[in-house]
Amino acid sequence: MNAVAGIGLRAPHLREIDRDRPALGFLEIHAENYLTPSSSLATVERLRADYRFSVHAVGLSLGSVDGLDAVHLARVATLVKRLEPDLVSDHLSWSTFGGRYFNDLLPLPYTEEALEVVTRNLDRLQEALGRQVSVENPSCYLDFPHSTMSEPAFLAELVRRSGCGLLLDANNIHVTAHNLGLDPRAWLDGLPAAAITEYHLAGHAVNETDSGRVLIDDHGSKVADAVWALHAECLARFGPRPTLIEWDSDIPALPVLLGEAQRAQAMLAAGGSHDARAA
Amino acid sequence: MTLALREWQATFAAQLAGGGGEGRLAIHRHNISSSLIRSLGATLSTVRALVGEEFFRQAAQAFISRGLPTQPVLAEYGADFAGFIEAYPSAESLPYLADVARLDWALNVAFHSPRLEAADLSAVPPERLAASALVLAPGVALVRSAYPLDRIWAVSQPGAPEGTVDLDGGAARLLVHRRADDATFIALGEGEAAFVEVLGEGQVVEVAAGAALAVEPAFDLTAAFARLLACEVFAALRQ
Repeated sequence: MNAVAGIGLRAPHLREIDRDRPALGFLEIHAENYLTPSSSLATVERLRADYRFSVHAVGLSLGSVDGLDAVHLARVATLVKRLEPDLVSDHLSWSTFGGRYFNDLLPLPYTEEALEVVTRNLDRLQEALGRQVSVENPSCYLDFPHSTMSEPAFLAELVRRSGCGLLLDANNIHVTAHNLGLDPRAWLDGLPAAAITEYHLAGHAVNETDSGRVLIDDHGSKVADAVWALHAECLARFGPRPTLIEWDSDIPALPVLLGEAQRAQAMLAAGGSHDARAA
Repeated sequence: MTLALREWQATFAAQLAGGGGEGRLAIHRHNISSSLIRSLGATLSTVRALVGEEFFRQAAQAFISRGLPTQPVLAEYGADFAGFIEAYPSAESLPYLADVARLDWALNVAFHSPRLEAADLSAVPPERLAASALVLAPGVALVRSAYPLDRIWAVSQPGAPEGTVDLDGGAARLLVHRRADDATFIALGEGEAAFVEVLGEGQVVEVAAGAALAVEPAFDLTAAFARLLACEVFAALRQ
C-alpha cells in the first residue's frame, strides 16, 4: 500500500462512510469488532470494494505466557482471509491470563523470556495468517526494574527473530517517554526503519496527580502538537508510510477525523520521495 | 528475586482483578472497567437510557466485578446481565428492567447473527407445509414480558418524545429478528407467540397452529404466516 492517510473506522461513522464514500487512503478496523456475521461486517465487505483496508487486532494478547487462544486466532484468521487487507497488526502487550480477558493493553517486562514468549506467539500468528503481522509499540505507565532491555531494543530484536513489521505510534512514544522519563527522540534511535509498515496517531489525555503529570492514551481528542512534531521526526528518519488517525472515546463528527487525516496526508506529501526502505 | 513471566503475569492479573498494587496500576484497572462499561452500555443501550448514566455505570461495574469477559469479542459479553439485574438490589423498584435487558441482549444477538436468504415457502403445497417443521432464522428470539415492553422500549429510544408508560398496560410478546442493516422486533399476538414458540421446539406447522388456537381461538394462520414471512423468520423447511 502507498504511503497514504486513513482513519480508524468506528461504529458511529459506519453508515455515513458507506453512504458518502469520502476520499481516504485506507480504513482500519479493529478485528475484534468484526468477528461475527453482523450487519456491520456486511457494510465493511461493501466498503472493501472501494477502500484499502488494515485489520488491527487488540485482543490477540501477543505477550501472553498462556500462548494464543486457538478459537480467537481462528476467528481473526477467517476475517483476514475474507477481507484480504493490506496490513495486519496487534500490540506489544498482553490481555489474557488464566481464561480472563482484561480489555486493555497490559505492559510486559522487557526480558529475554518475554522476548521468547512474544516471538513464539508471533510465529504462530504469522503462520496461521500466512502473512507478516506488524507489532505496535504500546503506551506505558509502568516500567519494571527487572527489564533487561529498552522497548525499542526489544522491538528491534523481535523484528530480527520473527520477521514481523513495526507499527510505530508517535502518540504512544510521546506518552511512554513522558510517563517513564525517557527522551522520545532517543527512543527512535536504532529502530529498523525497513520493518516499519505503518504509523498511528491519536490524542491523549493529561492527568494531574499528586505524584505529577501522567499522560493517558485515551484516543479521545485531536493529535497533540508535540505528537505531530514527533511524527514529523519519524517521517524524516524512516520515510513515509500509511498513516492512521485513531479516535475511540468521545468520538467526534466524521469531518473532524477527516481533517486530521488530511493533515497527516499533507505531511506525507511534503515528505517527498525519501523512503528508508529503498535505502 | 525475578519472577518468571508466568508468575509475574499471574500476580499482575490478580492485582488488576482484586485490588492491591496501587499507583499507576490503577490506570490499567480504570481502562479495563471504563471500556467494559462503555461496551456494556452499547450492548444494553435501552437499559442505560432508562436508568441514566450514573446508575448504569454502577450496575455495570458490579456486573464486571462478578466476572470479566473470557474472550476479546465484547459483543459477546453480557449474556447474563438480565439475570444479574433481576437480583441487583438497587434495581428492585424497576421490576421490568431485567426484561428490557433481555430485549437488548436479543437484539444484540440478532444483530450479530448471519442473515441467510429466507426460505421460499410459496411453492410448498399447503398440505405439505402443514406437515412440515420450519427452521427459525439465526438470531430470531421471542422475548416475553409481563410489562408493555415494546412501549417501554419506544419511549427510551434517542429522540423519542417524552412519554409515560402504564406498567399495567398488558403483557408483551416481542419477536426479535435480523434485518439487512440492523435488528428489530415486532409485537406478536398471544396466538402468534405460541405458534412461533412451538415451531421453535421443532414441531410441525399443524401442531404449532393447534397450540396457537388453544390460547387464542381467533388465531388466523394465514395472516400470522404472512407477517412472519415478511420478517424473514423462517430459514428453511426442516428436512
